[in-house]
Formats: sequence, C-alpha cells, structure tokens
Amino acid sequence: MSETESPTIAYYTVVEDERTGWTGGLLLLNGGGRPLEFQCTLPVRPTKAHEILFGVTLRDHLIGEVIGPLLVRKCRTPIALLCCDQPESLKIETRTRCPVALVEEAALSDEGPIDDESILGSTRVELAGATLRVPMEQCERVQKLAAQLIDLPDATEPFDRIREAIREAQSQIARAQATRAQATRTQASHLPPPAAA
Amino acid sequence: MWKQNSAGELRAEIDTVNSWHDDSLVPADIFRMPIKSIQPKSLPLKVSKLSAKATGFLFPEANQWTPPVSPSLPSNRKKRKRVANLQRHRIKPPNEVVKLQDRLYYLLQPPLDSLVGSGQLNFPFDPFPYQLDGIAFLFPRYAAVLADEMGLGKTMQAISTIRLLLCSGELRSVLLVCPKPLVTNWLREFEVWAPEIPVTAIGGNASKRDFQWRSPEVPVKIANYELLMRDKETVLDSGLHFDLVALDEAQRIKNRNSTTSEIIRAIPRTRSWALTGTPVENSPDDLVGIFDYLSPGYLKVGMPMNQMAKASRDYILRRTKDMVMDDMPPKLYRDAELDLTPEQWATYESAESEGVIQLEELDQELTIQHVFELVLRLKQICNFDPATGSSSKLERLVADMEEVTASGKKAIVFSQWVNSIEKMKPALERFGPLEYHGRVPHKKRDGVIDQFKHDPDCNVILMSYGAGSVGLNLQFCEYVFLFDRWWNPAIEDQAINRAHRIGAKGAVTVTRMLAMNTIEQRIASVLDEKREMFDMLFSEKDPSAKPAKGGGLTRDEIFGLFDLRAPGGKKVA
Repeated sequence: MSETESPTIAYYTVVEDERTGWTGGLLLLNGGGRPLEFQCTLPVRPTKAHEILFGVTLRDHLIGEVIGPLLVRKCRTPIALLCCDQPESLKIETRTRCPVALVEEAALSDEGPIDDESILGSTRVELAGATLRVPMEQCERVQKLAAQLIDLPDATEPFDRIREAIREAQSQIARAQATRAQATRTQASHLPPPAAA
Repeated sequence: MWKQNSAGELRAEIDTVNSWHDDSLVPADIFRMPIKSIQPKSLPLKVSKLSAKATGFLFPEANQWTPPVSPSLPSNRKKRKRVANLQRHRIKPPNEVVKLQDRLYYLLQPPLDSLVGSGQLNFPFDPFPYQLDGIAFLFPRYAAVLADEMGLGKTMQAISTIRLLLCSGELRSVLLVCPKPLVTNWLREFEVWAPEIPVTAIGGNASKRDFQWRSPEVPVKIANYELLMRDKETVLDSGLHFDLVALDEAQRIKNRNSTTSEIIRAIPRTRSWALTGTPVENSPDDLVGIFDYLSPGYLKVGMPMNQMAKASRDYILRRTKDMVMDDMPPKLYRDAELDLTPEQWATYESAESEGVIQLEELDQELTIQHVFELVLRLKQICNFDPATGSSSKLERLVADMEEVTASGKKAIVFSQWVNSIEKMKPALERFGPLEYHGRVPHKKRDGVIDQFKHDPDCNVILMSYGAGSVGLNLQFCEYVFLFDRWWNPAIEDQAINRAHRIGAKGAVTVTRMLAMNTIEQRIASVLDEKREMFDMLFSEKDPSAKPAKGGGLTRDEIFGLFDLRAPGGKKVA
C-alpha cells in the first residue's frame, strides 16, 4: 500500500499549566508516523468563576467539549483515527465521524491502569505494540485501521511530540511577553518626570 | 412574699402583680406579630462561555517521506513490540531558526530511533546512539561542522542525513568534496549506507566531467578538491546550484586566502556542511577559515577564544571516543622518555650549538625557514646518529617489539621521515616489517595493508605520518609507536586513530618516544599547549569559565625554541 493510500492518524492531548492555562494540540500523521498537519490552541484560561461553577467538570468540559472539537474541526486533512491520552477526550466522538481511541500506555502515567470498569463499554485493539481502548461499536472499524497502520513505528510517542511543541510555543510566548514588558519599562524610563503639582 | 404583723407573726401573701401561674403560660388570646417580607435581590454572576482559538499549519507535501525501496535491504513490516523508555533522538531546531512554525516543523518530526528498522529507515548495521544524535544535528542545519574525532563515523552520519533529506524532498542536488584518495571510500560508504541513492564521482576528460556536472538524474556528486580547481568555470559560472555542499577533511579550507578556499566559498549552494576531525590544527583562526565557508563574517580573525567558542557552539558537534563509546577500549599513553646514546648526544650538542651560532650570525637575514632547518636536523639526530646509526629510540623499539610479538599482537610505528623508517627496518627484520609511505607506489599500498592484516609473520608496519595518518582501518593493531613527534597534535591523533577506532579488539597502547633535554622535549610542551587550546574551543562547558590561553606554534614560539630573537621583534623566552 502506498503512503497516499494509508490512513491518517491524529493524536490529541491537552497540557494544563498553572501559569499559562490549558493548551491543546492535535498532530496528524501519515501511516508511517510522519507529520502531515499540526493544530494547536492558544492557552485557554478559565476564570475563578468558571472553576467554581464548573467544579470537577471543568477538565471534562475543556478537554472534551471546548478544545478537542475545535481542533478536530480546524484540521484540514481528513482524520481516520483519533488517539488521545486523556479519558475526557473520548467525548469528542459525539462531535466527529472518526473513531476516538484512548492509548492505554500513554494514559497510564496520569490515569493509572485502565481496565474494563474505568471505561465502560470499551474494548481493546492493538496498534504498533500499544493498546487502544475503543468503544465496542467501533471495534471492527478500528481493527481494520490498525491493520493498515502496520508501518506506524510507535503508537504512544507522538504525544511527546505534541507536548514538546506546546512547550516550545509557550516558551516563545513567554519570551515575547518578557521582551514587551522590557520595552515598556524602557519606554517608561525615558518619559519625562511628572510635573510637580 | 413574707410580711410581719404587729404581733410579730410572719404571714405569707401572694403578689398578684409580679407572680405567675402555669396556666398563664398558655395564651388565652391570639397574638399577631407583623414580619416585614424579605425581598431577595439577584446578583448576576456571568461566566463567559469557555472558548479556544486554534492555529495550525500543514507540512509541505514534499516532506511526506517516501521510504526508499531497496532490494538489498530487508523490509521489516512485521508487527513490532514497543520498547518502553526508548531513548529518543529527536531532531532539534538550531538556534538560528526563530519562527515558531519552522521550529515546530523539526520538533514534530518522529524521533530517529523510531524510524530505524521500521521499514522507513533501514541501516545495514544498527547505528550507535551518538550517530543518531549526529544525524539529528545535521538534519535541520544549513551551516554545520561535524567535528567528531576520527573513527566515530562522520561519513556514515553525513550519508544517512543526506539520505533522509533526499527522501523527504528537502535536497535534490548534493556536492561532496573530499581529498582525492578518499573518493573511492565515499563511493563505498554510499553503497553501504544509502544503496538506493545514485552517486557519481566526477572524473574523466573535460567533456565527460562537464556532462557529469550537469546530469540532474544523479543527485549526489563527489569531487575532489584538486578537480574543483580544474572545473572552476563549470562549477561557478554555468548556472549550477547545489542544495548542499559538504566538505570532507574541511581543514583543507582553513587558509582563507587559498585558491581552494576561494572556489569552495563561491560555489552556489543552499546548505553548507564541513566534516573534519581536526577543525583547528594550529590556531583558532583555522576555525575562522571554515566559518567563512559556512557563514561568512560570522567569526573574525583575532576574536577572543572564549567568544569564538561561544559563538560557534550551536554550529559545531564534536564528540570524542571517550565521550561516546562506553564499549570502546581505552587508549593508553606511555611516554618513553629516553636519553640519547653517547654518540647521538655528542653529535646533537655540537649540531645545536653550531646551529644556534649560525642562526645568530644571520641576524636580520634570519628567517623562520632557517630555524626550521635546524629543528629538523636536530630531530633527525634524536632518531639516529648520522655518523654511527646509533639510536636509543630504536633500542627501545626493538625491546618493546619483542613483547608485542611474544603476545601475538601487531604494531604500527610512525615517523616523520622515510629515511628513519629505512634505518629502522634492518633491526626489526625478525618482526616482519612492512613499509607504507610516500615511496611505496600507490598501486602496491593496498597489498601492503592486506599482507599486514593477514600475514601472521608481519608484526609491524612502518608508516610515515603523511601516507598513513588518514583513511586506513587498522583496528586489529593494539600498539602504536610514535618514533618522533609531528608538529601538530591533530595529525598525531589521526595517526593513532588508525588503530584506535570502532572495532578495535582491545586497549590501544600509544608509546610516544621523546629524547630528553633536546628540541623534542621543547616541542612536546608546545604540543601540550595546543591540545589545551583545542579542548577549550570544543569543550561542552562554558568557555568563559576557563581563562583564555593562546595556542599554536607561533612565529615567536618557533624562534623561542632556541632562545632566539625574532628579527624586528623582542626576545622571547
């Protein structure tokens, strides 16, 4: 099967940072694991009111309803399979036609071991040495896709790429902000002193 | 309440006003108490709908990577198991790439480890992790110096990166320039590491070469430095453009004013790489010469060394075997500090004193060439007494060779002079000596190496630095003798690395022969300083942490070997 015929696979994760906020990234790869498209959000910063009113559902809302669907919508290349490492992302399935899978090994560090009870109605599909949790009704479809994605080198590593890219973007934003602040300070120091009352 | 009457009797009476009875607790009537109604006020707490803004980019279509199909490499399409905690070798953008999208382009590429053996990037042998680091270093760079120590596989790293860039469509035409004797080596290495890539070595008559230069169907062209001089017009003025020009043994252009350097700098190109194990041979200014090719004007002659090291750090990748090869056998240095034989000493003393007197008599006519001549004469006496042939070094070498041969090992002996090599040979006859130097015809040289490798009776090969210091793999040798010292520590290292390279069987013992209290000892101390300079320029650490120290055998230092006064200059110690 040629590269152009192999299905695309998208990786989605959200990085939460106390200082900058919630930033989502979606990386679309070809069947060989090479990047085709990257979409990411600017950091979303919920207010205190959001935190109080949404309570524990805030994370669910941001990952599954705000950031994820937006990135999937923005992606210009058709997605055959969407992989995530946060269970909250599974909700995106209601907003997209492609199956959404949770990569167990990638979710492990934050979520602990994933079993049948932690994600009800899901089943397992193997992909590039990793285990995908997919809704039972999507099992067959994902299995077919996995069979086509035999050249994918690693099913968990792309999350690292997204996080690295988000870190890079955040550090650029921080540098730009620092430069602007410095410029403002310099400008202020050149202003004439206020006239005496 | 109690009251006392006139008779003094106490009487109890009920105070009806202030007393109560339990019946009075039950109201006999209905009481009304009006309460003011509470009017709640709504306080609106508005929370905006949480929304996000997204931005993104597509990767250029050309980079959708078409894996090379090679019949000679086995396809690995079976299911692979994921290796936990795999060490990742990622392509990191260089500092010169500023735009976020450009930086992300590199960061979002898959790690090289995951491509190796995945069917997308096959190698005939598993690369060492540091070699993947080298590929990750070269891949994004438009200006780079790969300055790994000899023997670490600069060629393989360059070829593999070129292969990746060709496959991803970032390169279409590559020019590789190397010294003439290494052209066949490059062709061979391409055959091993990138068999699917068409490569041609430019050669033959003028019309053939002209055709080769212009053939677009061969993406990689190999030319030697000398040939570039001949084909200068074709390369520079006929509209050719290369996506990459890579220089092997790039120290060849360290002299910025040489014709070679001028031609190389003028080749129309997009990317410029320099490969060299010795980016600095004599002085930090050598690096300026190389950078004039990579990024003209970025480094300047006379720049403080720590400043130069800092500025060039992002462009240079330098690893030594000690740094990267955990399994590399050690290299053991042994300084054989020898006293000259009485015959040698007598000749040496008179030659030195007479020579110095002659130099002093030259006064204003004294040139550096005169000093060099004396140095060479004295060094030769340190090897052999010209009158008697007596040599303390040879005595020591014969004794050491007994041991080497007894343990079934082989040795390489390096000397600056073919004459010295020829004088050694009779005394080493029982060790089956072979010669490899400028007087051995090129056609016979491969046969000599072959015999040395396979003939159990040949235990020693006598080499000149010039002929034997590059391009030979003699890792089956565990002993190296430097019969005399070369002027430049980098050349000595190259010589030693013939034996101490990947595949070496055991520890390599390097014996440096040094005639005490002679010119050799003085030169050795200058060489040590040069090593320090090299270490400082290419140290991983912050160069500002170390004091700047001069290096190189300067004009004054050469005169200083004899405590002479340089014409027009002050006396140097």
